[in-house]
Amino acid sequence: MARAAHPHAMSPSRPGRTRTAPPQMPAQFPTSGRYFTYTLFGSTGILYLLCGFGALRAVWLLGSGRTAWEGLQRDYAQAPLILLHVVCLAAVIFVGVRFFRLFPKAQPAKIGPAKPPPRPILHAGLYAAWIVVSGGLALVMAGGIF
Amino acid sequence: MRHLLLKLEPVIWLLFGQGIMIGTMLLTAYLAVVGVAIPLGIVSPDALAYERALRLGSSLIGRVVLFALIALPMWKGAHHVRHLSLDMGGLSRDAVVAPILYGLALLGNLLALIAVVRLH
Repeated sequence: MARAAHPHAMSPSRPGRTRTAPPQMPAQFPTSGRYFTYTLFGSTGILYLLCGFGALRAVWLLGSGRTAWEGLQRDYAQAPLILLHVVCLAAVIFVGVRFFRLFPKAQPAKIGPAKPPPRPILHAGLYAAWIVVSGGLALVMAGGIF
Repeated sequence: MRHLLLKLEPVIWLLFGQGIMIGTMLLTAYLAVVGVAIPLGIVSPDALAYERALRLGSSLIGRVVLFALIALPMWKGAHHVRHLSLDMGGLSRDAVVAPILYGLALLGNLLALIAVVRLH
Protein backbone atom coordinates (compact mmCIF):
# COMPACT_ATOMS: atom_id res chain seq x y z
CA MET A 1 0.00 0.00 0.00
CA ALA A 2 1.48 3.32 -1.08
CA ARG A 3 1.73 6.04 1.51
CA ALA A 4 -0.02 9.37 1.09
CA ALA A 5 2.08 11.88 -0.83
CA HIS A 6 3.94 14.43 1.25
CA PRO A 7 3.05 17.99 0.20
CA HIS A 8 6.77 18.85 -0.08
CA ALA A 9 7.72 15.63 -1.87
CA MET A 10 8.70 17.47 -5.04
CA SER A 11 10.73 20.25 -3.42
CA PRO A 12 14.53 20.03 -3.93
CA SER A 13 16.53 18.62 -1.03
CA ARG A 14 18.84 21.65 -1.04
CA PRO A 15 18.71 25.13 -2.59
CA GLY A 16 19.67 25.41 -6.24
CA ARG A 17 22.94 27.04 -7.35
CA THR A 18 21.23 30.01 -8.97
CA ARG A 19 21.13 32.78 -6.40
CA THR A 20 17.90 34.70 -6.11
CA ALA A 21 17.29 38.10 -4.58
CA PRO A 22 15.67 38.00 -1.14
CA PRO A 23 11.93 38.75 -1.27
CA GLN A 24 11.08 42.38 -0.68
CA MET A 25 7.81 44.03 0.25
CA PRO A 26 6.61 46.24 -2.63
CA ALA A 27 6.93 49.92 -1.74
CA GLN A 28 3.21 50.58 -2.29
CA PHE A 29 2.00 47.66 -0.17
CA PRO A 30 -0.50 47.57 1.53
CA THR A 31 -2.51 50.76 1.03
CA SER A 32 -1.19 52.57 -2.05
CA GLY A 33 -1.64 52.07 -5.77
CA ARG A 34 -3.10 48.80 -6.95
CA TYR A 35 -2.41 47.17 -3.57
CA PHE A 36 -5.16 49.23 -1.96
CA THR A 37 -7.98 47.31 -3.68
CA TYR A 38 -6.13 44.03 -3.04
CA THR A 39 -5.93 44.81 0.69
CA LEU A 40 -9.51 46.00 0.71
CA PHE A 41 -10.61 42.76 -0.97
CA GLY A 42 -8.79 40.72 1.68
CA SER A 43 -10.21 42.86 4.49
CA THR A 44 -13.75 42.03 3.43
CA GLY A 45 -13.07 38.64 5.00
CA ILE A 46 -13.56 40.25 8.43
CA LEU A 47 -17.01 41.49 7.36
CA TYR A 48 -17.94 38.12 5.87
CA LEU A 49 -17.07 36.45 9.17
CA LEU A 50 -19.19 39.05 10.98
CA CYS A 51 -22.08 38.53 8.53
CA GLY A 52 -21.91 34.75 8.97
CA PHE A 53 -22.07 35.01 12.76
CA GLY A 54 -24.73 37.74 12.52
CA ALA A 55 -26.91 35.50 10.36
CA LEU A 56 -26.25 32.62 12.76
CA ARG A 57 -27.51 34.78 15.64
CA ALA A 58 -30.63 35.71 13.65
CA VAL A 59 -31.49 32.08 12.79
CA TRP A 60 -30.74 30.97 16.34
CA LEU A 61 -33.10 33.61 17.74
CA LEU A 62 -35.76 32.67 15.19
CA GLY A 63 -35.61 29.15 16.59
CA SER A 64 -35.81 30.48 20.15
CA GLY A 65 -39.33 31.86 19.81
CA ARG A 66 -41.36 34.94 19.05
CA THR A 67 -39.98 37.15 21.84
CA ALA A 68 -36.36 36.54 20.83
CA TRP A 69 -37.13 37.14 17.13
CA GLU A 70 -38.98 40.39 17.81
CA GLY A 71 -36.10 41.50 20.06
CA LEU A 72 -33.70 40.91 17.17
CA GLN A 73 -35.86 43.00 14.84
CA ARG A 74 -35.81 45.83 17.38
CA ASP A 75 -32.00 45.55 17.57
CA TYR A 76 -31.74 45.66 13.78
CA ALA A 77 -33.76 48.90 13.68
CA GLN A 78 -31.06 50.77 15.63
CA ALA A 79 -28.88 53.18 13.63
CA PRO A 80 -25.45 51.60 14.37
CA LEU A 81 -26.64 48.18 13.15
CA ILE A 82 -28.26 49.67 10.04
CA LEU A 83 -24.97 51.44 9.30
CA LEU A 84 -23.02 48.20 9.82
CA HIS A 85 -25.38 46.37 7.45
CA VAL A 86 -24.98 49.10 4.82
CA VAL A 87 -21.17 48.79 5.09
CA CYS A 88 -21.44 44.99 4.86
CA LEU A 89 -23.73 45.27 1.83
CA ALA A 90 -21.23 47.59 0.12
CA ALA A 91 -18.44 45.10 0.90
CA VAL A 92 -20.46 42.18 -0.48
CA ILE A 93 -21.20 44.05 -3.71
CA PHE A 94 -17.52 45.03 -4.01
CA VAL A 95 -16.49 41.37 -3.58
CA GLY A 96 -19.07 40.21 -6.13
CA VAL A 97 -18.02 42.74 -8.77
CA ARG A 98 -14.30 42.05 -8.27
CA PHE A 99 -14.64 38.28 -8.10
CA PHE A 100 -17.00 38.00 -11.06
CA ARG A 101 -14.57 40.09 -13.12
CA LEU A 102 -11.69 37.85 -12.06
CA PHE A 103 -13.47 34.51 -12.46
CA PRO A 104 -13.62 34.32 -16.28
CA LYS A 105 -9.91 35.21 -16.51
CA ALA A 106 -9.02 32.41 -14.10
CA GLN A 107 -10.60 29.65 -16.18
CA PRO A 108 -8.31 27.13 -17.89
CA ALA A 109 -8.13 27.42 -21.67
CA LYS A 110 -9.35 23.85 -22.03
CA ILE A 111 -10.50 21.01 -19.77
CA GLY A 112 -10.09 17.84 -21.82
CA PRO A 113 -12.13 18.30 -24.98
CA ALA A 114 -14.30 21.03 -23.44
CA LYS A 115 -13.53 24.72 -23.78
CA PRO A 116 -15.08 27.27 -21.42
CA PRO A 117 -17.49 29.74 -23.02
CA PRO A 118 -16.07 33.12 -24.13
CA ARG A 119 -15.26 35.47 -21.26
CA PRO A 120 -18.05 38.00 -21.91
CA ILE A 121 -20.65 35.21 -21.87
CA LEU A 122 -19.23 33.76 -18.65
CA HIS A 123 -19.15 37.24 -17.12
CA ALA A 124 -22.75 37.94 -18.15
CA GLY A 125 -23.82 34.51 -16.85
CA LEU A 126 -22.35 35.23 -13.43
CA TYR A 127 -24.16 38.55 -13.22
CA ALA A 128 -27.40 36.92 -14.38
CA ALA A 129 -27.03 34.24 -11.67
CA TRP A 130 -26.34 36.94 -9.07
CA ILE A 131 -29.43 38.92 -10.09
CA VAL A 132 -31.68 35.84 -10.21
CA VAL A 133 -30.50 34.33 -6.89
CA SER A 134 -30.32 37.60 -4.94
CA GLY A 135 -33.44 39.04 -6.52
CA GLY A 136 -35.41 35.83 -5.95
CA LEU A 137 -34.32 35.53 -2.33
CA ALA A 138 -34.99 39.22 -1.70
CA LEU A 139 -38.49 38.88 -3.18
CA VAL A 140 -39.21 35.89 -0.93
CA MET A 141 -37.92 37.64 2.20
CA ALA A 142 -39.71 40.90 1.36
CA GLY A 143 -43.01 39.08 0.99
CA GLY A 144 -43.27 39.54 -2.78
CA ILE A 145 -43.68 35.81 -3.40
CA PHE A 146 -44.57 32.80 -1.18
CA MET B 1 -0.02 21.57 11.56
CA ARG B 2 1.41 23.07 8.35
CA HIS B 3 1.35 19.62 6.78
CA LEU B 4 -2.34 19.18 7.70
CA LEU B 5 -3.24 22.65 6.39
CA LEU B 6 -1.54 21.90 3.08
CA LYS B 7 -3.46 18.64 2.79
CA LEU B 8 -6.75 20.38 3.58
CA GLU B 9 -6.03 23.23 1.14
CA PRO B 10 -8.21 21.82 -1.70
CA VAL B 11 -11.21 21.45 0.62
CA ILE B 12 -10.67 24.89 2.13
CA TRP B 13 -10.32 26.41 -1.36
CA LEU B 14 -13.59 24.77 -2.42
CA LEU B 15 -15.41 26.20 0.62
CA PHE B 16 -13.72 29.58 0.12
CA GLY B 17 -14.77 29.66 -3.54
CA GLN B 18 -18.35 28.77 -2.69
CA GLY B 19 -18.24 31.37 0.09
CA ILE B 20 -17.40 34.05 -2.46
CA MET B 21 -19.75 32.82 -5.18
CA ILE B 22 -22.85 31.56 -3.36
CA GLY B 23 -22.23 33.43 -0.12
CA THR B 24 -22.11 36.75 -1.97
CA MET B 25 -25.34 36.02 -3.85
CA LEU B 26 -27.21 35.07 -0.65
CA LEU B 27 -25.73 37.79 1.56
CA THR B 28 -26.69 40.51 -0.93
CA ALA B 29 -30.37 39.67 -0.52
CA TYR B 30 -30.15 39.05 3.23
CA LEU B 31 -28.35 42.30 4.02
CA ALA B 32 -30.49 44.36 1.64
CA VAL B 33 -33.81 43.13 3.00
CA VAL B 34 -33.24 42.05 6.63
CA GLY B 35 -30.40 44.45 7.45
CA VAL B 36 -31.45 47.59 5.59
CA ALA B 37 -34.88 47.63 3.88
CA ILE B 38 -37.00 46.34 6.78
CA PRO B 39 -35.31 48.46 9.50
CA LEU B 40 -35.63 51.58 7.31
CA GLY B 41 -39.30 50.88 6.62
CA ILE B 42 -38.79 50.40 2.86
CA VAL B 43 -40.25 46.90 3.25
CA SER B 44 -43.03 46.19 5.72
CA PRO B 45 -41.85 44.41 8.92
CA ASP B 46 -44.80 42.03 8.42
CA ALA B 47 -42.80 40.42 5.59
CA LEU B 48 -40.63 38.75 8.21
CA ALA B 49 -43.12 38.58 11.06
CA TYR B 50 -42.39 35.62 13.32
CA GLU B 51 -44.90 33.15 11.83
CA ARG B 52 -43.91 33.85 8.23
CA ALA B 53 -40.15 33.86 8.96
CA LEU B 54 -40.47 30.55 10.80
CA ARG B 55 -42.59 29.01 8.04
CA LEU B 56 -40.05 30.01 5.38
CA GLY B 57 -37.03 29.07 7.46
CA SER B 58 -38.28 25.69 8.62
CA SER B 59 -39.06 24.36 5.13
CA LEU B 60 -36.40 22.06 3.63
CA ILE B 61 -35.29 24.65 1.06
CA GLY B 62 -35.37 27.34 3.73
CA ARG B 63 -33.07 25.34 6.00
CA VAL B 64 -30.61 24.65 3.16
CA VAL B 65 -30.54 28.32 2.12
CA LEU B 66 -30.13 29.52 5.71
CA PHE B 67 -27.33 27.01 6.34
CA ALA B 68 -25.52 28.13 3.17
CA LEU B 69 -26.09 31.79 4.10
CA ILE B 70 -24.40 31.27 7.46
CA ALA B 71 -21.77 28.63 6.69
CA LEU B 72 -20.24 29.65 3.36
CA PRO B 73 -19.39 33.30 4.14
CA MET B 74 -17.54 32.07 7.25
CA TRP B 75 -15.11 30.06 5.08
CA LYS B 76 -14.63 32.98 2.71
CA GLY B 77 -13.97 35.21 5.71
CA ALA B 78 -11.62 32.80 7.48
CA HIS B 79 -9.53 32.10 4.37
CA HIS B 80 -9.29 35.75 3.34
CA VAL B 81 -8.37 36.92 6.83
CA ARG B 82 -5.73 34.17 7.01
CA HIS B 83 -4.19 35.42 3.77
CA LEU B 84 -4.38 39.00 4.96
CA SER B 85 -2.45 37.87 8.03
CA LEU B 86 0.10 36.10 5.79
CA ASP B 87 0.53 39.24 3.68
CA MET B 88 0.92 41.50 6.69
CA GLY B 89 2.86 39.31 9.08
CA GLY B 90 4.47 36.54 7.05
CA LEU B 91 4.40 32.81 7.56
CA SER B 92 5.72 32.75 11.12
CA ARG B 93 2.37 33.18 12.89
CA ASP B 94 0.33 31.18 10.38
CA ALA B 95 0.58 28.03 12.50
CA VAL B 96 -1.51 29.83 15.13
CA VAL B 97 -3.71 32.10 12.99
CA ALA B 98 -4.90 29.51 10.45
CA PRO B 99 -6.17 26.92 12.97
CA ILE B 100 -7.95 29.64 14.96
CA LEU B 101 -9.72 31.03 11.88
CA TYR B 102 -10.64 27.68 10.33
CA GLY B 103 -11.64 26.40 13.77
CA LEU B 104 -13.91 29.42 14.16
CA ALA B 105 -15.50 28.73 10.76
CA LEU B 106 -15.94 25.05 11.61
CA LEU B 107 -17.51 25.89 14.97
CA GLY B 108 -19.80 28.39 13.24
CA ASN B 109 -20.82 25.73 10.73
CA LEU B 110 -21.66 23.25 13.50
CA LEU B 111 -23.73 25.89 15.30
CA ALA B 112 -25.42 26.76 11.98
CA LEU B 113 -26.38 23.13 11.54
CA ILE B 114 -27.91 23.07 15.04
CA ALA B 115 -29.63 26.42 14.42
CA VAL B 116 -31.38 25.25 11.24
CA VAL B 117 -32.30 21.86 12.72
CA ARG B 118 -34.01 23.49 15.71
CA LEU B 119 -36.29 25.60 13.49
CA HIS B 120 -39.76 24.11 13.79
